[in-house]
Amino acid sequence: MRALTTMAYRQLKRFIRARSRVVGMIINPLIWLVFFGLGWSKVFDNPIARSIFGGVDYLTFLAPGIFAMTIFNQSFIGGVSVIWDKQFGFLKEVLVAPASRKEGILGRILGDSLVTLTQGMIILLLTFLLAENLKPSGILPALGIGFLLAVAFSGFGVSLALRMESMEGFQMIMMVLMLPLIFLSGAMYPIDTMPSWMKALAYINPLTYAVDGTRHFLVGESVTKFALTTDVGVLALLAVFLVGIAMLEFEKATIG
Amino acid sequence: MYAIEVENLVKKYGDFEAVKGISFKVKKGEIFAFLGPNGAGKTTTVHVLTTLLKLTSGRAIVAGHDVVKEPMEVRKRIGIVFQDPSLDRELTAYENMYIHGRIYGLGGNELKNKIMQLLKFVELWEFKDKPVKYFSGGMQRRLEIARALLHEPEVLFLDEPTIGLDPQTRSHIWEYIKTMKEEHDMTIFLTTHYMDEAEQLADRIAIMDHGKIIAEGTADELKKIVGNDVIYLKLEALEDVKCLKAEFIRGCKILPDGRVRLEVVNAAEALPKIFDLAKEQNVKIIEVTYHRPTLNDVFLYLTGREIRDEGETNTLASRIRVRMRR
Repeated sequence: MRALTTMAYRQLKRFIRARSRVVGMIINPLIWLVFFGLGWSKVFDNPIARSIFGGVDYLTFLAPGIFAMTIFNQSFIGGVSVIWDKQFGFLKEVLVAPASRKEGILGRILGDSLVTLTQGMIILLLTFLLAENLKPSGILPALGIGFLLAVAFSGFGVSLALRMESMEGFQMIMMVLMLPLIFLSGAMYPIDTMPSWMKALAYINPLTYAVDGTRHFLVGESVTKFALTTDVGVLALLAVFLVGIAMLEFEKATIG
Repeated sequence: MYAIEVENLVKKYGDFEAVKGISFKVKKGEIFAFLGPNGAGKTTTVHVLTTLLKLTSGRAIVAGHDVVKEPMEVRKRIGIVFQDPSLDRELTAYENMYIHGRIYGLGGNELKNKIMQLLKFVELWEFKDKPVKYFSGGMQRRLEIARALLHEPEVLFLDEPTIGLDPQTRSHIWEYIKTMKEEHDMTIFLTTHYMDEAEQLADRIAIMDHGKIIAEGTADELKKIVGNDVIYLKLEALEDVKCLKAEFIRGCKILPDGRVRLEVVNAAEALPKIFDLAKEQNVKIIEVTYHRPTLNDVFLYLTGREIRDEGETNTLASRIRVRMRR
């Protein structure tokens, strides 16, 4: 357990040290929420539009998506720190230590996930100021969904970063994957109105289930597509799978 | 008893053989140095001995355990200061120490006291709450040494501990290393391409070149390979240089750059005789240098090249190799 708690502690410490960066991280989702969300919410302020968005106003429809998007982005980006560790050499210090590597990397993923969740929570609270019809009682369970999503994609980011040599390569993959996954998640428009090929992609997009699960708690059953058990089940399985891969990858890691 | 035993260690990267079957033993409580130019395979050997790289063939026992079969047991018993920095730059000196201590199973007041003691030892206690990214190269190095000592390793690996540091900081770090050996009876395995460093610190030195150990012994033993004082002559004629012959000249070699390298028992006495001899033979000397044998002479004698010169070109070559490997 030592390696786990220590590495989690390190990630949290680094986050606290880099507080100024947090502001930068929060700005992006805020731009989506305000300029995209608020803008379109006036366009969609009519009964027909509301029926498309499950009977709620657009900001309320969008809010869970922004929350999931924040978590998804930040946990994915967290993998970058593994590349930093390679470049600044700290990874060697970890690899030469007489501690379980599996535990160490799990600790790192959990630490990163807590950091990501904190950022998601800040966005969620800001969302409540803008969108009027969200349920405050849904905050805690929504954070639970967010945590599963964070663990899954931290694991993915770490595995990917372990295989990459450069920041540029990692960032390129991130850019290529990030926007399509967000557009295909049902965060910004309902899956039901998508063309069937897009719908198929949305179904295999893990982010879809995070957005849907978050909507269960923050908005209500009327806007959701899947059963809550499906959402949680898919995310939990994915988290276990991706973290498992990260653990195996790190176990095999050597330098050079 | 030996702290490190290596038999026929080979490490290949694809077709490139970085370490070509080396064998050596390091006694407990000894400072043992690998001396050689960059690209000689020193760091690769360190990485194999510290379980970070898998060896291709051969056997290596460190602190009583096989690096391949029991890497975890080896890791518990060793400390390492890598050639390149390995600190968390965002965290403070204290936090770097604390995290290391926790990973190595220390905790509580014991850990706190040790951190204080070691940060004071390397004179960084007053900077303990400063993030490492604001530290100079020398301060980072000292912190890495303190960190490597935290879990009281049986064998300490120092890979080029003073590379890129100014002379003052270097001699400072040498003092720490000597103190560590004396006070803790620690076995220290050191790699360096600085001859003075090997000579100052090491009880025994292995000279390494192109993946092989080409000589091994104490500094004095190694110098005896060359034996005599060495005189270098630069002659006016660059072509068709011949060796000077006389009874008092024990050895003569023409170097690739055209200089003549003479070995004599006592250079101070031999020089006037050499000038006479040159006049007799109508050879014009335009530059003379002489000195007692150094480890560089030993290296030159064994390989025909100097450690330092070779170092510069080889760095580039080894970098290219690294790129190609990826």
